Amino acid sequence: MLVQALIGFIGATAFAYIYRVPTRQLPYAGIVGSLGHVIFLLTRDEWGEVGGVFLAATMVAFFSEVLARRRRQPVLVFLIPAVIPLVPGAKAYLTMLSFLQDDYTGALVSFISTVLLAGAVAAGIIIASSLFRIYSRAKHVRR
Amino acid sequence: MERLVGLVLLAGELLLTCGAEMYRVEETIERMGLAAGFVQVEGFATPTGLFISLHAPNGRVYTRVRRIRQTYNKLSTIAEVNSISRAFSDGSMTIQEVHDELERLSKETAPESLGRQLIGGAGAMAFTMIFGGNWFEGIIAGMTGAMVLVLVSWLGRHPVPKVLQAATGGIFAAAVIMGLSRILAIHPDLTTLGAVMVMTPGVAMTTAIRDLLSGELLSGLSRSAEALSVTVAIATGVAIVLTLGGR
Repeated sequence: MLVQALIGFIGATAFAYIYRVPTRQLPYAGIVGSLGHVIFLLTRDEWGEVGGVFLAATMVAFFSEVLARRRRQPVLVFLIPAVIPLVPGAKAYLTMLSFLQDDYTGALVSFISTVLLAGAVAAGIIIASSLFRIYSRAKHVRR
Repeated sequence: MERLVGLVLLAGELLLTCGAEMYRVEETIERMGLAAGFVQVEGFATPTGLFISLHAPNGRVYTRVRRIRQTYNKLSTIAEVNSISRAFSDGSMTIQEVHDELERLSKETAPESLGRQLIGGAGAMAFTMIFGGNWFEGIIAGMTGAMVLVLVSWLGRHPVPKVLQAATGGIFAAAVIMGLSRILAIHPDLTTLGAVMVMTPGVAMTTAIRDLLSGELLSGLSRSAEALSVTVAIATGVAIVLTLGGR
């Protein structure tokens, strides 16, 4: 698990580097990414892959929003690299491979699970971010 | 006044070319315009164009249109423009300072050092290992991923469409790893997967979700289309090599 946490950290930090996140925010993006990956691994068996990815994406978006407010940065700076380890790249690859091998049933199965996983990531981000939006709107009105 | 209009336009353009969300672009334009002394500020941003209309106190209306042709992923510019616009509306930054800073950001070319691409390759390594590859496969994927980044950023400096860049990267990564898997004991699929992941349209995917969330249907859909077409292009590139290689 520790190795996986480290891999998640390396992955998110490297992608943060590719997308040119400000250098001082790199480790934070990495930590959020690592956290998301670990949450996914811990919940995968109990909740299934889609449920695990959903929970992980929600937590990643939540911590990105918190960090963005704390460190006065755009949310994207943390959110984009941290979401990357949750992207269903392997399932998408499997879809392509099955199509190549004329296995249309297998291709359809992995295509549907790619769509579900991507949808779970999107739903997680939407839920956490809209909660934050409602919260900051409410704070704005009170002032 | 002319100069202030130019500043607001430049800030919006920088945000758009670096892939910011639409609401951020429009909010920044509004914040800067009001801080600059305009009485009414209207901004309309789409991923390929920016329209602003600034109403001066003396009744004149300044309207500018800017076409956005190129976009690249540079989150640090978004962060910097964001803090510049906040400092400007606080009054802690003068017009001249804002002008100098924005000019510097717009001239700043993307520093493409080899080190940057090697670190990017670590992302490919991590991905291969997330999906169950061992250290050796990870390192091969990392090196190939770094080469893919070099190739794609080289193509990016020429007028090559994004879809074609992604397909070329896919072909390159799959060909290199296919060749290596003949002589080394590596799992070709896991390694190729890691190497092509460095081209994931992460910025387009995430901003598409956030744009759709804030009701920006136009840019949400067009960015989803961008993310999807790049992904399909990568898969096509890999598929071409795998077919020729007899898989």
